[in-house]
Amino acid sequence: MVDPRVTLGRLTLPNPVLVASGTFGYVREMSTFVRLDRLGGVIPKTVTARPRAGNPTPRTVETAAGMLNAIGLDNDGIDHFVAHHLPYLRTVGAPVIANIAGEDEDQFVAMAAQLGGEPGIAAIELNISCPNVSHGLDLGVDAEAVGRLVKRVRSECPLPIIAKLTPNVTNVVPIAAAAAEAGAAAVSLINTLRGMAVDWRRRRPILAYDVGGLSGPAVKPIALRMVWDVARALPELPIIGIGGIATADDALEFLVAGASAVQVGTATFYDPTAADRMVDEIASRAAEAGVRSLREIVGTLRSNRGG
Amino acid sequence: MSGTDFQGPFHRCATIVENVPVARETYRIRLADPAIAGSIRPGQFVMIRPGGDGSDDPLLGRPLALYDVVRDASGAPVAFDVVYLVIGRGTSALSRRRAGESLSIWGPLGNGFGRAPEGPAVFVAGGIGQTPFLALGRDWLQPGGPCPSATLLYGVRSADLLAGVDDFHAAGVHVEIATDDGSAGHHGFVTDLLARRLDRGERPAKVVGCGPPAMLAALARLTERHGLDCDVSLENHMACGFGACFSCVAPIRQPDGSADLRRVCVEGPVFPARGVVWS
Repeated sequence: MVDPRVTLGRLTLPNPVLVASGTFGYVREMSTFVRLDRLGGVIPKTVTARPRAGNPTPRTVETAAGMLNAIGLDNDGIDHFVAHHLPYLRTVGAPVIANIAGEDEDQFVAMAAQLGGEPGIAAIELNISCPNVSHGLDLGVDAEAVGRLVKRVRSECPLPIIAKLTPNVTNVVPIAAAAAEAGAAAVSLINTLRGMAVDWRRRRPILAYDVGGLSGPAVKPIALRMVWDVARALPELPIIGIGGIATADDALEFLVAGASAVQVGTATFYDPTAADRMVDEIASRAAEAGVRSLREIVGTLRSNRGG
Repeated sequence: MSGTDFQGPFHRCATIVENVPVARETYRIRLADPAIAGSIRPGQFVMIRPGGDGSDDPLLGRPLALYDVVRDASGAPVAFDVVYLVIGRGTSALSRRRAGESLSIWGPLGNGFGRAPEGPAVFVAGGIGQTPFLALGRDWLQPGGPCPSATLLYGVRSADLLAGVDDFHAAGVHVEIATDDGSAGHHGFVTDLLARRLDRGERPAKVVGCGPPAMLAALARLTERHGLDCDVSLENHMACGFGACFSCVAPIRQPDGSADLRRVCVEGPVFPARGVVWS
């Protein structure tokens, strides 16, 4: 038997399979496909301080081995989240990680403080990397701003803080380092990559927002490389790997590259039971390879160049 | 969000019984799945990954409406049909799948149509929008039920795109045709056919529409002007089909009069025509 438990700082999860914010609705939607209490954790859709209508349609378009989205953080705001979704989330039987996005530092801090006073939340993930609203991206590309934000959020919220980082930077390591130094329990990487799709006959981008975030199998190699970069530079910082994870083997690749846990994202859209199946498949794959504990394989990838 | 009422849905690997052309660029695919066939209602849809046998290309599922439920000799549901028009990579890939291959599918999804009206029904279809109305006609025209007759007003660009007209006849649905090029039936819009009937003083108990947004908007205006009860089935672009991705939102009028973007996959695809804010 493989011990499937993983740790992210002081947070212990029953297994490494989380589901990514924005790909699992408010969790309720998934209850007929996924045995929710088997998951390592659930991360509902990003919540903002006030209700947001989101972007016009088309909001998504399929691309080669992936998709672009520009949803625009469509949600009913934090008060609705607390009143309507949180009571349900407390019953699902998996750790709940709330994902929040503020328009500025103060909003992030106020939202984290509000959720920090609510029972039934295991951790907070800061969405400082949404490519489809201007402020999140601006914040997440600046290491100093990320460090300041994490520090302030930690001082107002007792829960473990996870910073979800953007890949749309020259080097993600200094940003992860700033989050670590400010006391982040973990970093999630990667959010989507900015991209676009074009209808040349109409001379128009296909998305109503023109550009969007690329996700799906197409981004997995980039995500693996970024996880490895951060894991090598910051071996003490827990990482949650995200990006094109659709199978148990994908997840195990992220674990050995340095992720302590993973998030299944776009795969849920085209394989709604993927996360559920992955829980057992990771354990059986690992057992076949003689692994006794998933924790012991985290970050065990060795360079072919002797590094 | 609130008000969603799931029956199922199931995520299955279904075997293709047949996948046959029924009109130009139009196919009917039959999938063996008793669980979905036994629970799906008219107006609901399934998501079908068109790559087949676990292929990731194309990546996402495609939403396709129930066309008909197939029963065995004892009347038990064993399979279901959907009819699709080849319009892009996904439907093109689907048209290349063969009997015996398997497809990843999930459903039933969406709310479906309401109960049979107390009087005649008119279905208004544009393009490939006729597909939900065969199952609906069968459901509403059950002997002894409140709906005495159903008429399909069916508009396509050209006669060779007409798909399943004989199926509708066999189900007891009267069919009237309109074409953009005059190659069959009325030369003009399908909504002209309804306007003509209403001008003659007909008053259907229920009008239901499915087709391109411009057609549905015209239908909504026409039925509102005549004070008729009208529902429409929207065909917005979807990535997941079960409410997780928030791709398929449409502006829907709320009880307080405001418009809010709602997910067509879980709150629809069927909405009262006057509840949709037409752009």
